[in-house]
Amino acid sequence: MKTTTRIAGLGWVTPLGASLDEVWERLGRGDVAEAKVVANPETGREHIYAPVPLKTVDALARNPRLRRSSAISYFAVAAGLAALQNAGLTLTPESAARTAIVFAISSGGVVYTRKFYEQIVKQGANVASPLLFPETVYNAPASHLAAQLGIDGASYTLVGDGSVGLGALKFAEQILATDDLDRVVVVGSEECDWILCEAYRDWRMARRVGSTRGALLAEGAAAVVLAREGKVDLQVHDGVPVFREREAEAALSRIYADLLSGHGADAVIGSANGTFVDAIEQRALGRHVKGATVYLPKRSWGEAFGASALLQTVVAALTLEHGLLPGMAPETVKIESVLVSALGFNQQAGGAVLRLS
Amino acid sequence: MISSPAPQPHRVAVTAIGVVSPLGLGCEETTRALREGHDGVAQVTAFDVSKTRCKTAGLVDLAKLKAGAGLKRHRREHLHHPASLMMMAAANEVRRGDGAFDPQLLVIGTTSGGMSFGEAFYRAQVRKKHPRERAAWLANYLPQKPVLDAEEAWPCAAPNQIIANACASGTNAVGHAFRLVRAGHYQRVLCGGYDAISEMVFVGFDSLQASTPEKIRPFDKSRTGLVLGEGAALLALEELESARRRGAPILAEVTGYGISTDNHHLTQPHPSGVGPRQAMERALLDAHRAAGDIDYINAHGTATIFNDATEGTAIAELFGDRVPVSSTKSMMGHSLGAAGAIEAVFSVLAIQRQFLPPNIHFREIDPAWRLNIVANEAREAQVRRVISNSFGFGGTNASIVIEEAAA
Repeated sequence: MKTTTRIAGLGWVTPLGASLDEVWERLGRGDVAEAKVVANPETGREHIYAPVPLKTVDALARNPRLRRSSAISYFAVAAGLAALQNAGLTLTPESAARTAIVFAISSGGVVYTRKFYEQIVKQGANVASPLLFPETVYNAPASHLAAQLGIDGASYTLVGDGSVGLGALKFAEQILATDDLDRVVVVGSEECDWILCEAYRDWRMARRVGSTRGALLAEGAAAVVLAREGKVDLQVHDGVPVFREREAEAALSRIYADLLSGHGADAVIGSANGTFVDAIEQRALGRHVKGATVYLPKRSWGEAFGASALLQTVVAALTLEHGLLPGMAPETVKIESVLVSALGFNQQAGGAVLRLS
Repeated sequence: MISSPAPQPHRVAVTAIGVVSPLGLGCEETTRALREGHDGVAQVTAFDVSKTRCKTAGLVDLAKLKAGAGLKRHRREHLHHPASLMMMAAANEVRRGDGAFDPQLLVIGTTSGGMSFGEAFYRAQVRKKHPRERAAWLANYLPQKPVLDAEEAWPCAAPNQIIANACASGTNAVGHAFRLVRAGHYQRVLCGGYDAISEMVFVGFDSLQASTPEKIRPFDKSRTGLVLGEGAALLALEELESARRRGAPILAEVTGYGISTDNHHLTQPHPSGVGPRQAMERALLDAHRAAGDIDYINAHGTATIFNDATEGTAIAELFGDRVPVSSTKSMMGHSLGAAGAIEAVFSVLAIQRQFLPPNIHFREIDPAWRLNIVANEAREAQVRRVISNSFGFGGTNASIVIEEAAA
């Protein structure tokens, strides 16, 4: 079902920084996140990922609710607060009661999950820490964000692959339509750990040290405030499950056709990340979204799974705000519609179209 | 407070249900077990429990599931996580119940996906061994995979939404699906939940001393904690008139959903019971029902000190001691993301078969409240309307109202 909601606020925490303007400029310059090397302590095998600089979330260091949390929750809260600030909103108890949270996640709290299971395996179940376990639960970051914002109504955490951010936007659109709400804060967040790098490398998705092929795994968070009023119209596709890789191009094609209805888009924010996704998305876009300029932000900050599609959405909204893609010369044609395309590693495809209200 | 939306024209029917739990495979076996007050909790053998206080869980008979649940043989079936098998079996039962049901969307709850495959991957690192299955472990570890496996086996290719709201996930999934159908966004949504037992989650609850080495005794004065469980359940929801037009079975109606978030603590509810109370109040308001209209409460009832204290208080304040209450977790353990969906199926069965499932191992009510506990034995009763509760880590609380299908 097609419905339109609006984007009222944006926020992010990325390996390139956390200010909307600063990161936008860095994207425009073509900056690429600095990769960090981590080693699997069991085998010594080295991996790389793009970390979020810790100074980015320094302001939250003394937050009592977050004192035992993992990085993923810090990123989430920072991005959520930034998006509300961008929307010009300070939540009061009354407005918080009319605000919901929808959270997108894929790997979740992998640092504490790995540490907790490590304790079980190496030290025994009887000494596994009860302080770690609660933070391993998928909805722990959403819970911290709800506590921070004083939201006592709807809070949902959705899990999926790199496209789940668009699924979260769809879900938010639905609850805005079915519940008595004024806005939904949609947040996606991820953190990295050597076990995650090891896993995606074994799955032949993650980039190896010294290679340019494969996805550079990344940390980060993005937040979008959805409301009935705002600067940008958002239309999100329901998504299409993909059971086999050979079905992925058709799935994306269907999504593009449903969203664009023959109108096309001026620009595309793609999900290409150095893996099989690139060729499939390129073919589908080449057939169905001709003439649009394609921008691939994962080349700059890597693949942050649950945060990825929301990071793409923030880039798309900023593109409309600026009338330009990052790095595009000002004299170029003004961009008035942007397609966000997402193909995940685990059988999900999604899309959204953003237009100036 | 999120108030009820304006009355909507669409009524929401349950046209089919499917369930796999420690109480049985399928609705018939499950109904017998519920009526008999069967104890589905057994010794855990899938991993080492020598160092945990709790050593038991409600376990699904996986061998029986593989052998007799009508699952198609599959050349890669050994790579399916047990959660996938449970989801496929529950989906099969839905299809047997309403073969023409063609979902436009799936909304499914879970808490831990294919966690045991993640554990196998980590252990392989420690042993410095890299078996060939490791890529399959990863692909099947992710929470959406059992849902996609069930879709592929169905077969259907509807979009899916996977909710991970801890132990409230299953009820959230049913509630969200209900709201979408009621609002006319979709005519048919398949909803439910799943979770399979895993060492990490088992030890996690043990580390918090939330699980018990004894029997699980919800609302009992001497309760000492929960035991975990596993399973999957699915409900086919359809706009009532659409279901009637095609002659689909109408098993019950979903009429209300309430959600609240308790920000008191990540794992402990506010002692006042405000979170559960808000969820139940909102569900009743959403259903346009008063507390006095409810005939049975399927409680979250984990038997932990904190959960039962807050839920018991909230139930006593809202319903007094008139409405019968039971926690079916006393029979099957706490199946986390599946629990709300399984208990929604139990609620439909209670309405269809007109009985109240018991709260087994019950000895003496906690004197903190007066509740009408369905103690130890099932009761025959007129059951027209049920409220089913689920509360979870992160302060997430959800309640749904299910009613007999009116003419």
